[in-house]
Amino acid sequence: MIARERPLAGRMLGLAIVVTLAFGGLAAGAGYWQVLRADELASSPTDAKVLAAAATVVRGRILDRDGRTLASSRRTADGTPYRIYADPALSHPVGYASSLYGASGLERAYAAELTGTGGGDSLSRLLAKFLPPADRRLDLQTSLSLAFQRLAVRLLGESRGAVVMLDPRTGEILAMASTPVFDASAVADPATARATFEQLRADASSPLLNRSTLGRYVPGSAFKIVTAIAGLGSGAVTAATTYPQQPPAEEDGLLVSGFRIRDGHHPFTGDRALDFYEATEVSCNIWYALTGLETGGGGLDAYARRLGFGGPIPFDLPTAASQLTNGGGPLPGGFEDDVELANASYGQGEVLATPLQMALVAATVANGGELMAPRLVTGFVDREGRRTPVGPASMGRVLDTASNVAIVEAMTRAVEGDYGRLFTAGAKVPGVLTAGKSGTAQLGGIGEPHSWFIGFAPADAPTVAIAVLVEQGGRGGERAAPLAGRMLRAYFAAQP
Amino acid sequence: MTGVDAGRGAPVLPAFPRPRARPRELGLLAGVGVALAVGSLSLGLYRTGRLELADPAGLALYAAGLLVAHLVLVLAGRRVDEILLPAAAFLGGVGLLLMQRLPQDLVVQEVGPWTLGLGGLQLLWLGVALLVATTVAVGLRSDRWLRLYKYTWAAAGLVLLALTFVFGSEVNGSRLTIEIGPVSGQPSELLKVILVVFFAAYLAENRVLLADARVRLLGPISVPPLPYLAPIAAMLALALGIVVIQRDLGAALLFYAVFLGLLFLATGRLIDVILGLLLFAVGFAALAALFPHVQDRIAVWLDPWADPLGSGYQLVQALHAFARGGLVGTGLGAGLPEVAGRLPIPAVHTDFPLAAIGEELGMVGVVAVLAAYLVIVERGLRIAASSRDDFRALLAAGLALVVGLQAAIIAGGNLKLIPLTGITLPFVSYGGSSLLANALVVGILLALSDRGPAPLRPPRPPRLGRLRRRGEASR
Repeated sequence: MIARERPLAGRMLGLAIVVTLAFGGLAAGAGYWQVLRADELASSPTDAKVLAAAATVVRGRILDRDGRTLASSRRTADGTPYRIYADPALSHPVGYASSLYGASGLERAYAAELTGTGGGDSLSRLLAKFLPPADRRLDLQTSLSLAFQRLAVRLLGESRGAVVMLDPRTGEILAMASTPVFDASAVADPATARATFEQLRADASSPLLNRSTLGRYVPGSAFKIVTAIAGLGSGAVTAATTYPQQPPAEEDGLLVSGFRIRDGHHPFTGDRALDFYEATEVSCNIWYALTGLETGGGGLDAYARRLGFGGPIPFDLPTAASQLTNGGGPLPGGFEDDVELANASYGQGEVLATPLQMALVAATVANGGELMAPRLVTGFVDREGRRTPVGPASMGRVLDTASNVAIVEAMTRAVEGDYGRLFTAGAKVPGVLTAGKSGTAQLGGIGEPHSWFIGFAPADAPTVAIAVLVEQGGRGGERAAPLAGRMLRAYFAAQP
Repeated sequence: MTGVDAGRGAPVLPAFPRPRARPRELGLLAGVGVALAVGSLSLGLYRTGRLELADPAGLALYAAGLLVAHLVLVLAGRRVDEILLPAAAFLGGVGLLLMQRLPQDLVVQEVGPWTLGLGGLQLLWLGVALLVATTVAVGLRSDRWLRLYKYTWAAAGLVLLALTFVFGSEVNGSRLTIEIGPVSGQPSELLKVILVVFFAAYLAENRVLLADARVRLLGPISVPPLPYLAPIAAMLALALGIVVIQRDLGAALLFYAVFLGLLFLATGRLIDVILGLLLFAVGFAALAALFPHVQDRIAVWLDPWADPLGSGYQLVQALHAFARGGLVGTGLGAGLPEVAGRLPIPAVHTDFPLAAIGEELGMVGVVAVLAAYLVIVERGLRIAASSRDDFRALLAAGLALVVGLQAAIIAGGNLKLIPLTGITLPFVSYGGSSLLANALVVGILLALSDRGPAPLRPPRPPRLGRLRRRGEASR
């Protein structure tokens, strides 16, 4: 047989190249899951190894900022470990770990570290493979204060609501309360778990919901601080900006695209055109609506996003996304029309925010315009007592210093000023310059409004920021502001 | 050159073939043996804390089987490929280690006087597979009966599938397994070999027509005339239809991809492949609209975490297993904790062996296994490229593709690159049907690579030896 042409041979090469590329893609896929996503998946609470450890391993402890034990373990008669918690006030941030119902809160987020199945970087885990298996369980050191946590829950009392108190300089959460609370120890104890959990799940007041991070509420006038940040930050307005159409609009409403925006809760300012400070002090809806329109939906949206709106906030616990609009509107920022934008500018419209988000708004102003990432865990302690701290992290500068100074001044006047005191009664800490803003979130005529307060102190060198929400607690000044005042007073009483 | 099809009777087979050493194969098999022994030591060390083989008898039997297969090929004295067997043996060995490592009560069967668990059964099937591969490699001297009876083969394949309707039993929502008395198997595994034979024979016969007699379809787009496409399209549609009704999406995808690959080889027209892909996209969209289980598959693929405890469970657990393994793995035996007495991935031995390899041998192990498939594909295409006629070339290429693409489809499914389908990882997954079908593939490829017995007395090449040798090789 003579050598003949083999036309197929050339095409074989093409086919070989295609198959090789496909296998290269497979290897890249393996790299994606086994290297890039490995740490995240292998230490996630849904990992089989983490779950398996959760049922048998005695978890590390969870400690508060002063070293008090918040969560520890006991064993049943047959040796199965279970968790007990220091106080029901901790039920949301610390959560529960149950062999029957999984885990929540920090117990869930840090299951890998607490059970010793995760933690460490890839390299140290690689090296650990060559050593005898070590006890890698870690204690969690948190920034929570058991005392403030208890106080917040006691002050909220029978109301449904949330309190978030944090150090604006570091983002450390001092208290994160959500009511109603539940008895996490009863969920964790195998003897009582089933009855307790079924009852909690059936409870119409959703006690298992962490309202501070997952509850989304109309923020009302507390949101004006976001509008102020956007307006001053973008240069659309200055602290001296006044609107000639504002005083007459107090009487018969401000006409925006045929819709009347009404105000009328500060008749004592007469027909004086208010500037930024006065408008904030008396919580003037008209001034803020005009400022929102001046800033534009795009500008408002951009600054709100810098503060964390528009997506889940990166945090130790799951967070709900706060929003300006329902999205999808034709105007910049997703607004339907100028009416929605004007309403959103004083916290109505379609604006929804979590208490954590509003606490971060206050904390940003308190920290000179830079937003620090909120966090609950400040360090890990291994079995030998070695501590690995978790440092603060910035989420970026939101606002320039000059604009921020003006907002601090306005918020101070909203608490300390002659008129401001009418709106934020009880928020003032005696002897400490206090800044804040109340909010009364109208719910479209259904029942009492949500009561809000956000603030910080001392206004000249803030060390603490706070957000308080009381569901249907009435006017902001009636319920949330005095509650925040009690929390801040307790904070300063505890400082040396 | 084989004896039978050489009708001109020129070469005469020696009465007793002269044994011919296969040093490359022996060396590579030794390497495979060492690798498996190290793996077994690692597993034993983890289990008992002492440096010992996990299952010395099983490993020795497998090594002995490989040695016997090698010796048979040596004694046959034929010049067949020396790389294929070690590559397949490596994959089979990794599969064996995996089956020895998984809980043995996953599958238990009585075989004669013995009650065998997962590892024992896999070893048994590997032995049978080696027997099949070597027998076919040495015994398949002529391709005539493959080539001439192509429609008979096609019919046989369809009958095989039809049998599953009569005797089939449903497993995991797919009607894949056929049980007749004590014998059970998955016909789609065998069907893939039969289909490749049919495609190769048909395309070899009609490839010039398919490539040159084009009918203008739309502007510059042209297709082969319908009468020439009809039989092959009908065959394909029927097979795909049955397979889809059986809910064996993986096999449907595999058959179609192999068909397109061979069509490209035969006609050299990229447009045929592109049209084929478009048709596939349309057909798949129609299937997705018609069958909720196809929609479920796609939804799970896009976001397995939407239902991590239900439909997405196995895939989520597989991805976690890959992640736990990381770069170098946990080590054999150290992965896969049982959660509440159950394996996190119930189908780990059939559909997800790659996830187990990923966990215990790490990305390094996954890449090694993938590389072994690539070696098999490369050898197959090389055999195809040097085949002396179109049928043999298309057959070799098709068989190489069927192994390579099957591995790629299930690996891609495990790694969430494509929707997951329930097909086996060739040579590695547990199961007799899969091992036997792939052994058949290796056997036929080896037979196709045969360059005949060594010449009795190789003449010393003269100075201008290149020309001379080339003439010999293609004689």
